[in-house]
Amino acid sequence: MFNLIRRDIILQKKMMLIFIPFILFFIIMDTTTTLTVLVASLFIPFNAFYYDEKAETNILLNSLPYTRKEIVASRYLGAVVYMVLAVGFTSLLLFVFNQSFSLDEIAIGSGMFLFFAALTFPIFYIFKPGYLMVVVFISFFTFLFIMENAIPYILENYTALAEYVMDLSTLEQYLVGSLTVMSFYMASWLASTIIYQRKAL
Amino acid sequence: MENVVELKGVTKAFKGFSVDDINLEVKRGFITGFVGANGAGKSTTIKMMMNLLKPDHGEVKVFGLDYKTNEKEIKERIGFVYDGNVFYEGLNLKDIKQIVAPAYKQWDDELFNYYIDRFDLPLNKAMKKLSKGMQMKASLAIALSHHAELIIMDEPTAGLDPIFRREFLDLLQELMIDSNRTIFFSSHITTDLDRIADYIAFIQDGELVVNQSIEEVAENYAIVKGELELLDQDTEKAFVEVRRASTGFEALTNNLKEVNDIFGDSVVIENATLEDIMYYLRKGGVHHV
Amino acid sequence: MQIIISNSSKEPIYEQIINQIKSSILSGDLKEGTALPSIRQLAKDLQISVITTKRAYEELEKSGFIYSIVGKGSFVAEQNLEVIREKKLKVIEEQLSAVIENSKEIGLSFDELQELLELLYEE
Repeated sequence: MFNLIRRDIILQKKMMLIFIPFILFFIIMDTTTTLTVLVASLFIPFNAFYYDEKAETNILLNSLPYTRKEIVASRYLGAVVYMVLAVGFTSLLLFVFNQSFSLDEIAIGSGMFLFFAALTFPIFYIFKPGYLMVVVFISFFTFLFIMENAIPYILENYTALAEYVMDLSTLEQYLVGSLTVMSFYMASWLASTIIYQRKAL
Repeated sequence: MENVVELKGVTKAFKGFSVDDINLEVKRGFITGFVGANGAGKSTTIKMMMNLLKPDHGEVKVFGLDYKTNEKEIKERIGFVYDGNVFYEGLNLKDIKQIVAPAYKQWDDELFNYYIDRFDLPLNKAMKKLSKGMQMKASLAIALSHHAELIIMDEPTAGLDPIFRREFLDLLQELMIDSNRTIFFSSHITTDLDRIADYIAFIQDGELVVNQSIEEVAENYAIVKGELELLDQDTEKAFVEVRRASTGFEALTNNLKEVNDIFGDSVVIENATLEDIMYYLRKGGVHHV
Repeated sequence: MQIIISNSSKEPIYEQIINQIKSSILSGDLKEGTALPSIRQLAKDLQISVITTKRAYEELEKSGFIYSIVGKGSFVAEQNLEVIREKKLKVIEEQLSAVIENSKEIGLSFDELQELLELLYEE
């Protein structure tokens, strides 16, 4: 399992060189920390899908002594591992460039990443490779758009829900937020596993 | 004799194509050649052996084990080579090894280096920069470096030049010195199999039409040539398919004994190559031998 | 041990192997107890299938020319040369009778036949 996760690093060694300027670009452009964290977290997992799409990776991995359950699990666990690394790395860069950032921003950024990953990962298991990356790009911007517009909308129109959230203590907010994201992520994981096990390669 | 792979009544249907009721046994310690025209169902069958595809009906067993419960144990003992590169084309062999090696408990670095040397493979060149022959050698080096008992190959010789094809066949025979090893490989180049295969499985339009040892094939099948007058409704029954010309007939039999009984010395009998058999069966469209 | 296989011969490959090993044994080139190459080694050397060499060895074993010990390989068996010689003589006698019969049919004299035999024997 660890080998499957490590695979992404071997695969993306050269990509790592782009990773640093890529994150720096977002920091210099002075985007919100939330967006920087979100984008930094997306980098490795989605690149991995991109690589897998180009080669017949599914055939390779399934011919090696791995089960399909493990292959899917490595994606979902790997995404979390790489997200933690990306968050650490981004924080370090922010610190070096003397930019202020809050834990809230990072938490929201990672939460959004997990949410987005949960939404899109199953796509890679449902459809045949081809234009999946394009689909994901489009859905990413749609996702950002919705996030930016829908949240204020919900806060305005569903005041009861908004008030309920606002009334919670910070700790409770974190707890509810992470539980929601986690259960969503787990559901997506389960769905991908079921889909992938039936998939013809 | 022990079966390494067993397919029982395996059926898989796609739109406009299906593999039908395949019963196939791959014997331990031998080379089984899997022949058939392009699109006959070779890759589909191999994919089911590798659990890349699940059959609609029927049972697949490898080493007597079931994929449902023993997937990892089975794949641990299989080396695979596919038609076309399944490795990341941007990576070099060193990196690919780093990805593949830890997957196997029995990976042997020394053995891997031996094959790298023997095949003259560059470790630092990206896969996509290698020729087709080199890519195949690279896949082979990877497939052979974890002491696999069963080596499954899908069209390994397609796109290879004749010299390397010959070297490749020599290598397979070398591997077969180990009596515990089994090789199953598909090819539409039948001369590969004429030389070294012990068993022949021949698939046509999704059906297994021949499944015999090469000795049985040589004993039963032959090309028969003779004068047209010899043919009539009864005598023709001895043939799978007859080709007539104004100068005489040429036919394939799968019952050489009967041909000898009927025609004796009045016909010329020649060994049938696998290509002959493939050609005539294709024309005759005979099912179930 | 030398074996030459012809792919274009009508004689099946396993028979070619059997006959050549037999004649090596009968001519004394292969002595009693000599180890033969393993089935798999022979297949590799001759570039033919294992099942073919296996069949050849099995038949040689059946007719008593070789014996096999599990895990050790195959060896040339003790030959009762006198018995073999007698068997061969009997075959030659039969064949010669057929020759004489044929000769008589076309009126070939004994002297002419002897001359022909001498000529062929010299070759």
